Amino acid sequence: MFWKLFWTYIKIGTFTIGGGYAMLPLIEREVVDKHHWIDGQEFLDMIALAQAAPGLIAVNSAIFIGWKIYGWRGVVATVLGAVLPSFLIILLIAMVFWDIHEYPMVEAVFKGVRPAVVALIAATVVRMSKNIFKN
Amino acid sequence: MYFQLFISFLKTGFLGFGGGMAILSLIQHEVLRYGWMTETEFADIVAISQVTPGPIGINCATYVGYTVTGSVWGSVVATAAVILPSLIIMLALCAIYTRVKARWSQNRTYKICMRVIRALVVLLIAHAAYSLMTPAMFIDWKSWTIFGITLVCMLMPLVKKNKATEVLSHPILLICLAGVVGFLLYYY
Repeated sequence: MFWKLFWTYIKIGTFTIGGGYAMLPLIEREVVDKHHWIDGQEFLDMIALAQAAPGLIAVNSAIFIGWKIYGWRGVVATVLGAVLPSFLIILLIAMVFWDIHEYPMVEAVFKGVRPAVVALIAATVVRMSKNIFKN
Repeated sequence: MYFQLFISFLKTGFLGFGGGMAILSLIQHEVLRYGWMTETEFADIVAISQVTPGPIGINCATYVGYTVTGSVWGSVVATAAVILPSLIIMLALCAIYTRVKARWSQNRTYKICMRVIRALVVLLIAHAAYSLMTPAMFIDWKSWTIFGITLVCMLMPLVKKNKATEVLSHPILLICLAGVVGFLLYYY
């Protein structure tokens, strides 16, 4: 279970582009739809708690899911998984590619990715609204 | 130096309500206060944090930690410090949430409260999406086309649930495709 959680969060962490809310569509897909670790209502409760606590929404929601599924070991798995990809990529950039945001190729890729990420978040709104009134 | 870094990021983690963007401005305050870097250097780091995968706050902490100390340990200290307050407070909230849910889940007032909270959360996500629809994110009609197609792909399973719509609505696949499309449209 530790590795399954860890791996799932590595995937989520790697494809979160543009902050905490960009992580939500990925959590919905992997944690709610695929593994059924939490249901749609708990997903919304998680966001409420993650937003109420100080700190990063991405980290806070990882703590919620890790704790719920596998106790403190789960928290270690999800938080490490969420943080590690960005930690390693940033270190690499800080050491070698410190002018990466000025590469025209990188900029082009992100011009495509940004609107898609907004669409993913917008889709989460529609997909999740059914969970408000469900009992 | 390491101690100062740890305290600064710990403070940021404790006081940063509202996610990554709120935390960035707190980090900026600390970084400028101690003269760790100039405003321009910090602006570059923010730009890089936004074009790299991962939570923006983590990206920024890792980057600042490395730049300030010139060592990987600086990154470890800054990143750990920004997470630590979250761990303590979130675990407490999770414990309270589990208890309250177990005790009151059949209670009528509780159910109404939770519905209101859930509705607000959906509005919050909607607001997050709306506030990202800026001219910087949507530069031309091609951006809106990518937005529209992605949205349709994501919502298709709600209309017709089968293997094809299931595969096509995978966020990771759609992000990769959008990256390729962006490369083809804007680089050539």
